Amino acid sequence: MECFSLLRKDIPALIDHLGVFGQVIAPHRKGDASYSFETVTDSSKVVLDYNRTLLPLKKNFFPPVEKLMDFSLKDLSYTTVEVPLEPKVFFAVHSYEMQSILRLDHSMLSGNVESNYLNRRQKSRFVGISFIPDEFHFSESVGITIEELEGFDLYLNEVEDDFQVYVITKKGRSLIQGFNKLRTTEPEIVAERKFKTKIRYHYNRLPRVFQYAYHADVWAEVASRCVGCGSCNLTCPTCFCFDVNDEVTVTAESGMRERTWDSCMLVTFAQVAGGENFREHTVNRTRHRLYRKFKYITDEEGLPWCVGCGRCTAFCPAGISLPEIVNDLIREDEKARHHQRVLV
Amino acid sequence: MKRIEDVKLHEAQDLYYPTMCQVTQARQLTEMEKWYELEMPDGQDLGHSPGQFVEVSAFGIGEAPISISSSPSGTGRFELCIRQIGTLTNVLKKYEAGDLIGIRGPFGKGYPIEKFLGKDILIIAGGIGLVPLRSLINYVLDHRRDFGRLIILYGAKTPAELLFKEEIADWTTRDDVEFYMTVDQGAENWTGNIGVITTLIPGLDLNLNATMAAITGPPVMYKFVIMSLKSKQLADDHIYVSLERRMKCGVGKCGHCQINGVYCCQDGPVFNYSAIKPLEEAL
Repeated sequence: MECFSLLRKDIPALIDHLGVFGQVIAPHRKGDASYSFETVTDSSKVVLDYNRTLLPLKKNFFPPVEKLMDFSLKDLSYTTVEVPLEPKVFFAVHSYEMQSILRLDHSMLSGNVESNYLNRRQKSRFVGISFIPDEFHFSESVGITIEELEGFDLYLNEVEDDFQVYVITKKGRSLIQGFNKLRTTEPEIVAERKFKTKIRYHYNRLPRVFQYAYHADVWAEVASRCVGCGSCNLTCPTCFCFDVNDEVTVTAESGMRERTWDSCMLVTFAQVAGGENFREHTVNRTRHRLYRKFKYITDEEGLPWCVGCGRCTAFCPAGISLPEIVNDLIREDEKARHHQRVLV
Repeated sequence: MKRIEDVKLHEAQDLYYPTMCQVTQARQLTEMEKWYELEMPDGQDLGHSPGQFVEVSAFGIGEAPISISSSPSGTGRFELCIRQIGTLTNVLKKYEAGDLIGIRGPFGKGYPIEKFLGKDILIIAGGIGLVPLRSLINYVLDHRRDFGRLIILYGAKTPAELLFKEEIADWTTRDDVEFYMTVDQGAENWTGNIGVITTLIPGLDLNLNATMAAITGPPVMYKFVIMSLKSKQLADDHIYVSLERRMKCGVGKCGHCQINGVYCCQDGPVFNYSAIKPLEEAL
């Protein structure tokens, strides 16, 4: 692996250079306490030290609101929406975020291959960056280290306030072609950046915990605090549920069909016409969300579908913590097992 | 895990565009249900198998999953029977011959016909559960010699809610159909059975090894019907159910129809009972 050193002050020049390939999307400050992935118009405004953006990077491939077609109510015809193949560089992306995109690829491209998503994912390049975990990050517990390089084309590792640039793919090599502020160097071991939040078990032990956790007391306790707002789903980088709705113009002559992100925590999510609701209670929905992250897809793919970004916990208005739920399930499981042993 | 490098651009599918189909006939069957015959444009055929569903849409209103009620005809025509119970279906109430309806599909897994060949087919339909099962009934009648007995149990709330009355009259008189019907509440001129659908099961004389049961009805019905069939000693893997869920996209993406980890729109709506028995959210 090629490795270069890069001074912090030269980062804007690197971003400008990446702009030759295509649009650069990077973290920006939004308000006093929030960050957002936005298109770079002034490379000096890009934020390198951020904890997490409010909305995940997936919004670029699977937009929160997306037009599927325009239709005419006069002749009941419709016109299709073409998603252009645009070269884009996603800059200063954390490892858990990259891993979420790889999981989203699986969700949108396995089985039926969705054209809208695939087109947006074409010609995308990723430049990773290291980060200092805050009290909500726990990605190490789901198998994703800070320096996990999978999916990235380039990776910026912060070393004593400046950076080392790792060249991971040929695409990454061509991104820095002709950029003259890099100096060849050897990769340095960085002093350990510790996670403050942890799931007590290694993630490969979690499927067994969830296998027996379906009727755990934990669910009712969590549900009693949940306000059912769906923020956890809306900020989750691996959630991909959506709804489809028609919008009609004021003249009632035309309109569009669009899809919007949906949330399995909302009470109407599994409700059908006539009023039957197949996940009527918060306790059912809380459990479903966690099983989507740690059991259903995990059983098939062998990986947790949670990447440990900490968003659902950081942005929950009721202060519900996902790693705490998992740790509580582990505790309840151990207790049940302990009693079993006593009985034997 | 599926990786983007493994996907070719030409594999991409436009999953959400409907085909505009013309209503060729429409008839209000009961106060709540209307029957439609539709035709695909340009000589296309829907190409469905019994038990599958389509996404039906009206622009400006939206989409909903609806069972296909006809057996595969190969003529480009197919039938739906729709209860007027939601936003879209109440708009469809006004649709008549000549109107255009958006159709996506067919979607999901229907009945495994290859496993039904040569077997006795036991149909158990509650209410509008008859609508999807009619695709199977008519398939069996279209290929009558390929199957054993055809036993149909049909229950409705009241005589006024009975669907497909002309076909029922035909099933009642045919020698090669054993048809039994009941209503929960009788009416003035009703001389038939009164009682829930499970009351029709104990009297059946079934050849257990040769019988395949197909059940569709309101959610509350399944447990009781399955209990009755179990007391007749019918094996789990001889029982098929078709389940209703909010199958919004029909292509295994949107998440609304999940039954635990299973997508009803992809793995169902027809399931073998032994496959969904362990799923807590199924029945």
